[in-house]
Amino acid sequence: MAKRWGQRVRNWMTQTMDLPQDVMMDLPRITMIGQIHIYIENHRGLLTFSEKELRLLLKQGQLLIKGKAFVIKMILPEEILLEGKIEHVIYLEE
Amino acid sequence: MKNQWIYYYTGMVSVKVTGKGLERFINTLTREKVSIWRVKRHGVSAMSFEIKVEDAHKIRNVVRNSGCKIEFQRRTGLPFLMKRAIKNIGFFIGAFLFLIVITLLSNMVWGIEIKGADPATEYKIRKTLDEIGVRKGKFQWSLGTPDAIQKSITDRMDELTWIGVELQGTTYHLQVVEKNEPEKQTEYGPQNLVAKKKATVVDYFVEEGKTVVSLNEVVSPGKVLVSGTIGREGEEQLVPARGEVLGETWYWTEVKLPLTTNFQVYTGNEVRKHAITIGKFNIPVWGFGKVEYKQSVTEENKKPIKFLKWNLPISYQQSTIRESENETRVYTEKQAYTVAREMARKDIKSLIPEDAKIKGEKVLRQLVKDGKVNLIVHFQVIENIAEPQPITQGDSE
Repeated sequence: MAKRWGQRVRNWMTQTMDLPQDVMMDLPRITMIGQIHIYIENHRGLLTFSEKELRLLLKQGQLLIKGKAFVIKMILPEEILLEGKIEHVIYLEE
Repeated sequence: MKNQWIYYYTGMVSVKVTGKGLERFINTLTREKVSIWRVKRHGVSAMSFEIKVEDAHKIRNVVRNSGCKIEFQRRTGLPFLMKRAIKNIGFFIGAFLFLIVITLLSNMVWGIEIKGADPATEYKIRKTLDEIGVRKGKFQWSLGTPDAIQKSITDRMDELTWIGVELQGTTYHLQVVEKNEPEKQTEYGPQNLVAKKKATVVDYFVEEGKTVVSLNEVVSPGKVLVSGTIGREGEEQLVPARGEVLGETWYWTEVKLPLTTNFQVYTGNEVRKHAITIGKFNIPVWGFGKVEYKQSVTEENKKPIKFLKWNLPISYQQSTIRESENETRVYTEKQAYTVAREMARKDIKSLIPEDAKIKGEKVLRQLVKDGKVNLIVHFQVIENIAEPQPITQGDSE
């Protein structure tokens, strides 16, 4: 009950005060440069990584990125920059 | 996002990890604040990435609890590049020596070409060049400028009219003009001797021809002195008239001489400095310290250093600083007149032919004005006034 209340308050605040939603609601912020780069902030860790697939843990659910020739250009606790040919970006609900 | 290129200067290591749970391993690394980049997957159980050199020991701690194995592979970056460079220092020394040798060789004299001289003169020129130090294998900066070489050759050799010295790359090109003395004319056509200028005839010596002038006769330019037409009337013959007619001519010259003159003379003290100039900077090589001359004249001699066919912005500079002094010369009026007359005599000698004689001189005017002596001197000169004039067919009638 308390969690839902917190969620509601946040939702209301972002709507009324016009704050960026990624800051307020711990959502990932994804920036893509064409097909070649994808930059994700606010992730919660690496789940799987191969040349064709990257799976990231988010606060809610997971993010699955599919493509070819993946190389992680940089990884920090909450940021990741992936290079390669990106074909799909999929949200997986739990 | 951090700039990874900065790590190039501190050094980077590429790491290969094998085992299970590689993703977890990377998550732990990031949580430990180890920055990693260029993560690649190699098959099922291997990954590779790069880290900073400083993080190498941090990663070991992480590995201990993970069950993965790591392998350090290539070390890249400036510190490792330097290490490798030091290992191969011989190569760099070689390259550097090569450049030095090329520069030295570019500044040598490799050839001397002489054009326009016959073999005998060419041999003499080569000998003279040898004496003044211009020979193959010498460094160009130890020799004078082409102009100086040109001057010293001309001073030493009389048989040359002119010599041009030019430095092209590493070769001196000498263009020679030999003195060709004109052959004496042995055959003359029929000619008269006529007066060159206005004069009074004082003496004559006729080799051939009929003398027309008499002594003490005043002649004007163009007057026939010795006629080339001889023989009785009606049976005239044309001959080349030859001979000398000495006439008295007049010259005058004006001399101005200030009573006091300031001169700059060298005391004989001098200091030599050597320096290497790079661009606008001067690096002294020899001859330090300040020169304590009150007055001095500096002479600079710059020699650019060449590399192959280009001039480097580096040059070798030799400067000579000579101490000078001001000296004032004061003449009394009497002294000034004597000097002025001497000057007038010298002046007149440059005006008259070499074989002419000064018979007498007379001062026309002398006065001192504005601290200057003004002197006008009149000279009586005995000189040959005869000038050949060919007789053409039209003139003979």
